[in-house]
Amino acid sequence: MSDMVLSGKNAIITGCARGIGKAMLECFAKHGANVWACARSLTPEFEASCAELASKYGVQIMPLCFDMTNKDEMKNAVKVVMKSELKVNALINNAGITYNALHQLTSESELRNQMEVNFFAPFLFTQYIVKLMLRQGSGSIVNVASSAALDGNSGRAAYGASKAALLCATRALSREVGAQGIRANVIAPGITETDMIGSMSDAVIAETVASTDMRRIGAPTNIADVAVFLASDLSSYITGQVLRVDGGM
Amino acid sequence: MLLTGKNAVITGCLRGIGKKTLETFAEQGANVWACAQHADEEFEKYCAELALRTGTWIKPIYFDFTNTDDIKAGLKAIVSDKQPVDVLVNVAGFTKDAIFHMTSMEQLKLIFEVNYFSQILITQYITKLMMRQKRGSVINIASISGIDGSHGQLAYSSSKAALIGATRTISRELAQHGIRVNAIAPGVIDTDMNAVVPANIIAGHVKGMSIQRMGGSSEVANAILFLASDLSSYMTGQIIRVDGGMK
Repeated sequence: MSDMVLSGKNAIITGCARGIGKAMLECFAKHGANVWACARSLTPEFEASCAELASKYGVQIMPLCFDMTNKDEMKNAVKVVMKSELKVNALINNAGITYNALHQLTSESELRNQMEVNFFAPFLFTQYIVKLMLRQGSGSIVNVASSAALDGNSGRAAYGASKAALLCATRALSREVGAQGIRANVIAPGITETDMIGSMSDAVIAETVASTDMRRIGAPTNIADVAVFLASDLSSYITGQVLRVDGGM
Repeated sequence: MLLTGKNAVITGCLRGIGKKTLETFAEQGANVWACAQHADEEFEKYCAELALRTGTWIKPIYFDFTNTDDIKAGLKAIVSDKQPVDVLVNVAGFTKDAIFHMTSMEQLKLIFEVNYFSQILITQYITKLMMRQKRGSVINIASISGIDGSHGQLAYSSSKAALIGATRTISRELAQHGIRVNAIAPGVIDTDMNAVVPANIIAGHVKGMSIQRMGGSSEVANAILFLASDLSSYMTGQIIRVDGGMK
């Protein structure tokens, strides 16, 4: 075993354009994985950064751009993966959107939108990919939820509920496909340095950091490193688990 | 290699999970103080060969977990090496199964002596060093029985539950000193400890798992490796079940 814990493995990561997904893309490449890098739109910057990472780490990075909420586009993306005839060793459902609003002020349309993007989309995408993994007889699913799914933070009713749904589905899936060699786990990040915290006030951020044992915000690479572990064979006997990566909240 | 240049203290290295952790750590580049209950010629040879093969140093340290003075002497030997200690893995532990009403106070106290009090004493000593360095990772090996309870394991499961409580509290106190404290809760692992468990009981456990087999000690060692490495640098106070998905 070398430092390259993902040597020769192929992974699909969603939400790679920025934030935690972007860090995951680099961490996975650094550890030797080839990656289908999913993002909503194929911008020249995204294409260039994929090519740059591929040559830097000597791996293949294949941009795979589609709207997660559009079923036809999703199907086409799955077809691209199938046509490659490459094994899919890991699926990281990282793409998601955030929303802050008090329960009583949450609009119905935003409530539905949270579920659409944070729950229905990864659920359906996972159905497609698990079908491939069942044929292979192996695979690791890593779903990125949130500490809000476990703690029920004020102002996070819609967001937290969508992540809690994802968490529960992951657990159920882990029981259904464990015997077929597929593992499914959840990462629950705490407060992390991404665009997402742009939606939080400085006072809320300061308060959260003060109640974090490590007294700092998590870096996207901190979350990405844990995804590497769960995608790799280092976690071969771990399934149905939720790993909090929150600096001790 | 995930532990290049790190120095680790591992207890319970004579066999099972401890021995596999020792091997995994050395292969990943760590130097190790390999703690064991008693001197053993074969163990000395094993450590020397492993060090040679992996280009690390491995120092056997012996102390009896039921003897506080003995433990202190062993820890002083580690301290006197004047090397930074990056990782402490508390693996040593044992069980003597008996149903609740058949558990003697003497047995209960002995198991707590080894599985709880000794671990706290060792952790106090080693984290004092880590506080000076302002970094370190402590990994306690608990058990799923400390979370779920387990028929016939009153003493063992409650000692492991105590260790889990300690893990959470110590993690809160030491985070500001740059020290992370986490625990692994192994499920049914193929070690000597489970070799004495009747096959039908093991089969019953396996049936309720998502991954329908016993775990290997290397699978637990790899999870320990993760918590020891910088891959887990934003994780503290966590208990990770390595149990193949038990119900």
